[in-house]
Amino acid sequence: MNDGIVVVVLAAAVAYGTPLLFAALGELLAERSGVLNLGVEGMMLMGAVIGFLCVQHVGGSAGVALPIAVGAAAVAGGGCALILAFLVVTLRANQIVSGLALTIFAGAAGLSSYIGNDFELADDPARFSFEPLNALGLGDLPVLGPVVFEQTWLVYASWLAVAAVAFYLWRTRPGLNVRAVGESPAAADAMGIDVTRYRYLHTVAGGALAGIGGACFSLALTPQWVDGLTAGAGWIAIALVIFAFWRPDLCLVGAYVFGGLSALPLILQARGVTIAPQLFQALPYVMTILVLVLVSTGTARRRLGAPAALGIPYVREER
Amino acid sequence: MTRPSVRIERRLVQRRWLPVAVPIGSLIVAFLAIAVVLLVTGHAPLPTFRRLFDAAFVADGALTNTLISATPLAFTGLAAAVAFRMRLFNIGAEGQLYFGAIGAAGIALLLAGQSAWLIIPAMIVAGAALGAAWGAIPGVLRAFAHTNEIITSLMLNYVAALVLNYLIFDSLSYWRDTSATGQLFPQGKTLPDAATWPTFTLGSVTVPFGFVVAIVVAAVVWVLYTRTRFGFETQVIGDSPRAARYAGMRTRRKIVAVLCLSGAIAGIGGASQDGDFRHVLDARGLQQANYGYTGIVVAALARYNPFATVLVAFLLGGLENAGYTLQGADFPSGLVGMMQGIILFAMLGGELLVRYRVVIERSGSVGAAEATT
Amino acid sequence: MRGVTKRFPGVVANDDVSFEVARGEVHALLGENGAGKTTLMNVLTGLYRPDEGKIEVGGRPVELHSPRDAIAAGIGMVHQHFRLVETLTVAENIALADRQAPFLLRGREAERQVELTAEALHMPVDPGAKIWQLSVGEQQRVEIMKAVRSGSRVLILDEPTAVLTPQEAQALFRTLRVMAAEGHSVVVITHKLHEVMEVADRVTVLRGGRSIATVRTSEVTRNELASLMVGRDVEPERRREPGEIGEVVLEARGLSARGDRGVDALRDVSFSVRAGEVLGVAGVAGNGQRELAEVLTGLRPASAGVVEVDGKRLRDGDPRAAIRAGVAHVPEDRLRTGVAPSLSIASNVVLKSYRGEVSRGPFLLLRRIAARAAELIRRYDVRGAGPHAPARLLSGGNLQKVVLAREFSSRPKALVVAAPTRGLDVGAIETVHGYLRDAAAEGVAVLLVSEDLDELLTLADRIVVMYEGAIVGEVDARAASVEEIGLLMAGVA
Repeated sequence: MNDGIVVVVLAAAVAYGTPLLFAALGELLAERSGVLNLGVEGMMLMGAVIGFLCVQHVGGSAGVALPIAVGAAAVAGGGCALILAFLVVTLRANQIVSGLALTIFAGAAGLSSYIGNDFELADDPARFSFEPLNALGLGDLPVLGPVVFEQTWLVYASWLAVAAVAFYLWRTRPGLNVRAVGESPAAADAMGIDVTRYRYLHTVAGGALAGIGGACFSLALTPQWVDGLTAGAGWIAIALVIFAFWRPDLCLVGAYVFGGLSALPLILQARGVTIAPQLFQALPYVMTILVLVLVSTGTARRRLGAPAALGIPYVREER
Repeated sequence: MTRPSVRIERRLVQRRWLPVAVPIGSLIVAFLAIAVVLLVTGHAPLPTFRRLFDAAFVADGALTNTLISATPLAFTGLAAAVAFRMRLFNIGAEGQLYFGAIGAAGIALLLAGQSAWLIIPAMIVAGAALGAAWGAIPGVLRAFAHTNEIITSLMLNYVAALVLNYLIFDSLSYWRDTSATGQLFPQGKTLPDAATWPTFTLGSVTVPFGFVVAIVVAAVVWVLYTRTRFGFETQVIGDSPRAARYAGMRTRRKIVAVLCLSGAIAGIGGASQDGDFRHVLDARGLQQANYGYTGIVVAALARYNPFATVLVAFLLGGLENAGYTLQGADFPSGLVGMMQGIILFAMLGGELLVRYRVVIERSGSVGAAEATT
Repeated sequence: MRGVTKRFPGVVANDDVSFEVARGEVHALLGENGAGKTTLMNVLTGLYRPDEGKIEVGGRPVELHSPRDAIAAGIGMVHQHFRLVETLTVAENIALADRQAPFLLRGREAERQVELTAEALHMPVDPGAKIWQLSVGEQQRVEIMKAVRSGSRVLILDEPTAVLTPQEAQALFRTLRVMAAEGHSVVVITHKLHEVMEVADRVTVLRGGRSIATVRTSEVTRNELASLMVGRDVEPERRREPGEIGEVVLEARGLSARGDRGVDALRDVSFSVRAGEVLGVAGVAGNGQRELAEVLTGLRPASAGVVEVDGKRLRDGDPRAAIRAGVAHVPEDRLRTGVAPSLSIASNVVLKSYRGEVSRGPFLLLRRIAARAAELIRRYDVRGAGPHAPARLLSGGNLQKVVLAREFSSRPKALVVAAPTRGLDVGAIETVHGYLRDAAAEGVAVLLVSEDLDELLTLADRIVVMYEGAIVGEVDARAASVEEIGLLMAGVA
């Protein structure tokens, strides 16, 4: 039964959805503070390449190298995000163009490719990679076994991340503050909240999470480095945040739905099914558009919608 | 207890020299930054720049190759500029270009055997039409359902790529080459000879027809935006949609119109790819090239001015061309993207100085010392 | 505050101003619009940095680099435009301001605290409601509670009664006196003389960015204050003489419309305005006046009813149809709706007329546009920038002149004007009123929507009062009293 197509797809959905989930959580944090981060794709690639670089060159066992690699990936993503934050928060540049610039800078024809080539990372597979565990020995349970208990550490970490972000946003003071900053920076500022600091912190945190998401590719899913490895996952993550109505729990659901939809064609092909894969592959994108349309109508917008100040730079002494 | 604080205030007086000096200054800063990156990774900056410049503009055939790289960028740059100027962030030029290529290839195949005088204009029209249609989707969604055009146009890029893949790799479509080799290695049908766009020779440089078309389009766009009622309306809508509605302008129609126009221009770019350069519907090549996204960089650097867009497309085309030509063991790949990114960062940062000024002052009651940068 | 000076590009908003409040006192800061009151208070609350001057709280000097510093120093402000986060609840908004709120939020605990505070201040409010669901008066209560909970000893209120009925204003004053009695220092920024006399112990008058005088309200008369405020002997504006009144030009029958919140904002509204007549629409902001103006000018679709201009039915929800029918509109929000702020003044002058004489086919005749703009600038005495400068550089008064110039130059049959003198200084107010008088004299049917009763009583022939979307009464402007209208505004029949 655990070899049946449904279970296989579900397990793959979780595995493939995990990088999306990390990146989406990161984007969610940034957008909650009012910053539209379109550089996610670039940050994921940077995380992937730096993580891979570490794993190839850091001494020690898997248990040492892998966490360091993930940490480095986070730092790489966060570093890129710092550039974006500087441009967008301090220099008040247009967020859309800045994000795109960052993706071009760090992306498939940019810095990540540069690093990949300079260090000849494409030549070998990863020395260590995250393997699926048999958590609690429950890997043989029907359905739940492969789907829940035979995933990598990264997947379990992502669940923690979802819970942490949700807790942070709704149950802590700083989380309330950041929600205010994203909705009405003027109000938040008048109440003494440091809008600049919050935007910086959340954008950088978002980048770090995106970096970890990228590392999921190079350290787990395809433990190898290829130029442009993430193939648009960053953009899907941006759409995912909207699909999830800016809520972490729905990010989880959405990531797995999208993950499943991207894994499905591969699985079907492996089983000899010959439906044109493009139909399934197109589903995530079309669904995103549909959801976006739904979210954007008037009353829905207020109840479910984007942080009101998303994408708008905040200047205190605007005349 | 004095603590210097930095404040940013909007400039009320625009100094004349600013809009010129700042971009130049930003470029200088950008090149310095790139030099640093090169140094840090063990490449000598000045020779590298020299080689880039040579490969882009000086060497034999360099200008011709640069124009080849520049032509699609001119189209996608104009497409982006047309929309971005009205604060409509059309990121879908990529997909609109694909559809333009599909349309142009299809019409060329349909009209095989006819004269070039018929086929080539037909390709342009078909390319524009399909590009406009694909651009209409985010336009309509934005105008009538208030849906953010950034995400919709982006998602449609992926769908367009999938359509391309389907037509060439996973189906036996009209566009696909169904000969023996075609069955083994999926590729598009070669377009008829009459569908090859002409070129103009200026000395040692071969100018593709598409580039000329791009210049014409730039001129039309310029006139449209600065001298017509349409342009006036888009200006108002871009500045204040509420004021536009108040003034009785049909904002929704304009939004759709502008996105269709943007898509049409990108679509002509796709037609140019078929007719000028590839002579086949090249699914893989088009997707690898990322013309659409680079076009946005072009438009942003050109501050959305149509003529500047063509110029910047030329310069960035030179950069891309140099990047291809010099690719190899000793020339860092990815440098092109990085340079583009850094230049864009520097320009974006410089924008700030044009619109705002930085005021540094010491706090306290001892009056204010202002330093403007 | 001593010797505080604050400059903006082009204007000195505060010029060596000194101002002090005692504990347990209600102190009014009086001045007309543009005198520098709000700027001064923004300095005090850390939003602006003074170019010169010192601030002391409780005898100790403080440096205020940001609103956070001001809150830490015990200064709280209730702004004219509320600084509330619309999608969060009341309790959450108050928690944002509460300096002692714990790191981990506890929802029910916070809500109960809010209820307690509300009771203590006699201001009932539902802690779980989202801000966008509340009425304006209720939102103001939340703002006050925020200030109290943030531990402020000095409470500043900026034009608090602008959004209240006369009766609600009374309730507010009672609350303020309670707070003063408990040791708070209350500063009320206002331009309304009667408020000053009613609620304040002392008053400081600002004029042209300078502090002119500080006196006890018990020792001064209204007229003296008025003179101080304006700098010359004040004559109250003359009431407009009735002019020649012609046929009905603008008529509304049974108008109903949905508001932004999904609720009916207009309920079965009917009235008519004749040529040469000024019909005033009174009411506290938020009772449907804005929606009424929007329906009449096509910016909002009606859910029922009919608008007729010169007897012909006006197409619903179409601003262009209204413009073509000869309905001119001076909107409430002149900067964001009335003009395109980054475009040149010349462009704004032809904002509605660009399809007419200044264009040939699809092309614009740029020189003709510039000429038209120059002429109107001269005729209406618009100062502060040339025809090619962006409109947002103009001051409020000059901006309004541009809007009026544009609307009048289209020779309208009807003129819908909303809050035309909000935020303007006395000179500009006189000018705008002059144009409105002229319009009526030339036979235009004028619909004047205003929160300023004095303005309505001065200019209008008849006044209708709106309450909760319906017209609850009509009075003859020359015979009615403020009390009568105030009661209608409050919904008392």
